[in-house]
Amino acid sequence: MMASILGNRWLLMGLRLVVGGVFIYAGVLKFQGPLAFADSIASFQLLPAELINLLALTLPPFEIAVGVLLVAGLQGRLAAFGVLVLCGVFAFAIGSALLRGIEVDCGCFGGGAPSVWKMWGSLGRDLLLAAATWLIYRAAILKMALPEQLNEGARAA
Amino acid sequence: MKTNALAMLSRDLPGLFVLAAIALAAGVLVNQFREQPLPLISLSKAARLEKAVAKVEAATPTVPASPTPPAAAAEVREIDLAEFRRLLAEPQALAVDARPEIFHRLGHVPGALALPRDDFETYYQKHRTKLEGYKNQLLLIYCQTSTCEDSHLVSNALTRLGYTQLAIFTGGWNQWTQQRLAEEK
Repeated sequence: MMASILGNRWLLMGLRLVVGGVFIYAGVLKFQGPLAFADSIASFQLLPAELINLLALTLPPFEIAVGVLLVAGLQGRLAAFGVLVLCGVFAFAIGSALLRGIEVDCGCFGGGAPSVWKMWGSLGRDLLLAAATWLIYRAAILKMALPEQLNEGARAA
Repeated sequence: MKTNALAMLSRDLPGLFVLAAIALAAGVLVNQFREQPLPLISLSKAARLEKAVAKVEAATPTVPASPTPPAAAAEVREIDLAEFRRLLAEPQALAVDARPEIFHRLGHVPGALALPRDDFETYYQKHRTKLEGYKNQLLLIYCQTSTCEDSHLVSNALTRLGYTQLAIFTGGWNQWTQQRLAEEK
């Protein structure tokens, strides 16, 4: 019962549109202000100066690309995998900043004022997006595995 | 089912690397056409401000370029909301908003001058005449929160430019709005 609800094509389509839309929006905002985004990355104190601006230039187009692929339903498994990796990286960065007691603005949707409450909110939103994306990814894997199972069944018969 | 996590990773990781490489190329390419391209190596906020101050100094022959602040400029103190409000009421004091200009436009302390840390040179030149009238008078600097560094960085920059009486309102804009005090837009 639960599996059929979670695998419902309309639910999955809704999730693709929502997650894809969020990543397109976030990517476009960061793309417009790379300096503010680079400052946000620097405030996490995780990367050396040589990598901060390269990441600030790479991440926005990457987010837009996976968002567009998800919304368009093209290369859905790859796009979902990309979003899962991004969510993992974001969760690690925000979680480690919280553990180290560093108050930052995540820069997720452009610049803003640093706040611990906003960091917890960002972490929660990130995990929700990861959960939704996991459903999309899982459905793509199952869809890919189905022909293999059918082939095995035919051989066994 | 033959698929497992490792097999999935081996299928999806190469595609992810290709996508990341395309994103990197696109990001770097578009950056070249920006009005102010992002340098490939990151500079700290303090280092960028240092460069902006050097440009202001270079454009001002009367201000001697000096790597260290003048001895008379040692007076930078931190003040709380009550003192900030008291000093604001004095005619010889001027509030300075060190937050990004967009936040200043959305709302600021009445009468405060926008001098954003991230666009210091442009706004210093814009308000130069008014600011230089306060070289030996009190400038009250604030940024967003009690932990933001912009007010301290702008204070350092102004010290280097020869301003002698500076105070930092540590509560910042957050404390001002929490107290529901008057805003100007």
